[in-house]
Amino acid sequence: MFRHVMLVLSIALVAALALAACGSTSSPASSSQTSAKHEVANVAYAGSLQLLNDQTIGPDFSKASGYGYVGRGAGSFGLSKEIAAGEITPNVFESIGAAPITQLEPSKTSWYVSFASSPIVIAYNPTTSYAPTLKLISQGKLPLARVFALLGSRGFLLGRTNPNTDPQGQAFYEMIELAVKRYHLPTSQVAKILGQPDNPAQVFSETSLEARLGAGQLDAASAFESQAIQLHLPYIKLPASINFGDPRLARVYASASLKLANGSVVHGVPLVVDATIIGHHDLRASVAFLRYQLDTAGRRAFTNAGYTVFRPIFVGSDIPASVKQQAE
Amino acid sequence: MAYRRSLSVWASLAGTIVIWLVLVGPLITLVAKIQPSQIISALRAPGAFTPLGVSVGSAIIALGFLVLVGTPLGYVLARSSWRGVRLLEAGMLLLLLMPPLVIGLLLVFMLGPLTPLGLALGSIHLSATNTFFALVVAEVYEAAPYYVLGAQSAFVGLDQGILDQASLLGDTPRQRFFRLSLPLARPQLTSSLAIAWARAIGAFGAVIIIAYHPYGLPMQVWTTLNEVGLARALPFALVLLVVSLPLPLFAYTWSRRARG
Repeated sequence: MFRHVMLVLSIALVAALALAACGSTSSPASSSQTSAKHEVANVAYAGSLQLLNDQTIGPDFSKASGYGYVGRGAGSFGLSKEIAAGEITPNVFESIGAAPITQLEPSKTSWYVSFASSPIVIAYNPTTSYAPTLKLISQGKLPLARVFALLGSRGFLLGRTNPNTDPQGQAFYEMIELAVKRYHLPTSQVAKILGQPDNPAQVFSETSLEARLGAGQLDAASAFESQAIQLHLPYIKLPASINFGDPRLARVYASASLKLANGSVVHGVPLVVDATIIGHHDLRASVAFLRYQLDTAGRRAFTNAGYTVFRPIFVGSDIPASVKQQAE
Repeated sequence: MAYRRSLSVWASLAGTIVIWLVLVGPLITLVAKIQPSQIISALRAPGAFTPLGVSVGSAIIALGFLVLVGTPLGYVLARSSWRGVRLLEAGMLLLLLMPPLVIGLLLVFMLGPLTPLGLALGSIHLSATNTFFALVVAEVYEAAPYYVLGAQSAFVGLDQGILDQASLLGDTPRQRFFRLSLPLARPQLTSSLAIAWARAIGAFGAVIIIAYHPYGLPMQVWTTLNEVGLARALPFALVLLVVSLPLPLFAYTWSRRARG
């Protein structure tokens, strides 16, 4: 009896695994051979796009196009590493900043398109003792330079993400550098506000930072403007010259730099949403997904989520004609 | 007939091996995927052993705390005739069922620096945010239900007759606990402790929320994965296994022998 049970169980287990494998997302190579209605836009995206992609754009895209959608959000650099190693096989990759995409050239892609930006802001806790001052600064009733003195004050609870793994973490660090220059503050103010790049008192995982902000357990934290809007958090807007949200100011941003834990030095880049198709076989679903994002409905979704949408900028070669046409 | 029986035996054996292979497949993949040179290279990096020390140290403290408070709690859950004890048991079961990430998020609301408890901790210079103390707290919460419910099960299984005889001979409840209950339950308590050890040292969900720093081994695996990719992260996963496995294996073997 026991033997029969073991045999049946093992067969059932193998069958279940086979079914699970068939039901899971196809790799680009295999899905190119499937029929159109089974094609899936398998999108790997920066963690900050999670809410927008999974709750709005993904479902709306599926409804409008008939293609499937699966999304996976994480730190852009981490995703880039996983794609490069073949550990994940998305057919669309959306990162914040182009660096995670250019790391994949030329083997996985040769181009990207920039179409939206989400500037860095300083989100704050409306119940903290610093809130009245921060509110006056956000309303322009106190000079913006004041916030950079406040951030460095003793006992101020500032949160930010890890610059070694997250573009927002890098940009926030570089934003403080640019702000100190712009407002003629002492250079030592950068270290006073931030400490070391991976300062344990300030650096949290992306998930944790959002949770702490939502729970009111920090005085202020770095955020994309879109995140602050989606989380209903009050925030202080920063000028374009230091907020990393305007691609035309790339040179200004590049004047700030940061040394990472692995010894490499990174320079500031605009925090724009960059997207590309992974693999050199353009699937209909991946092309359709990018076309949808560049189309009116996709642009409206980005705008509603607090992003600044601009005329798409293509960089690189072998750009799929249908994607380019959509943008024009 | 004999041929059919032999075929059945072989089919059963094959089935068992298939199930085993599927279940331990990730471990086999891990060992097969890592080159010795990768392990050496990862462990030679400056500060590579710090997360190991952090993980072992914090897990030992978490387990010490669990033994001190979890053993009496498990005893009460097992032996108390008070009706409300089922409510306490339900609390432990909820903790067991809750995803660790959610436990971490709730700990932010409970122990964040601006909460009443967080402020109280601050007044004695402790913080449950990105500190070694926070790591211990996260590990305690992830491992506690495994130890407490295991301890409860150990005390439930004691022979009531022996305990009653001790009472008749004049033992106080305290003497009965230390002289009889605890020694008799020790094999199963050890097994529960071993499972709690594995949960504590491998804790991640609650840890990433309240103790992103200091890096223990699971966080080291995660950040290395994000910084430089899976190939460099896997050796730390292997170290985690090598460190966390001996105690459960030893405890399992010992408790089996002790129980005969």
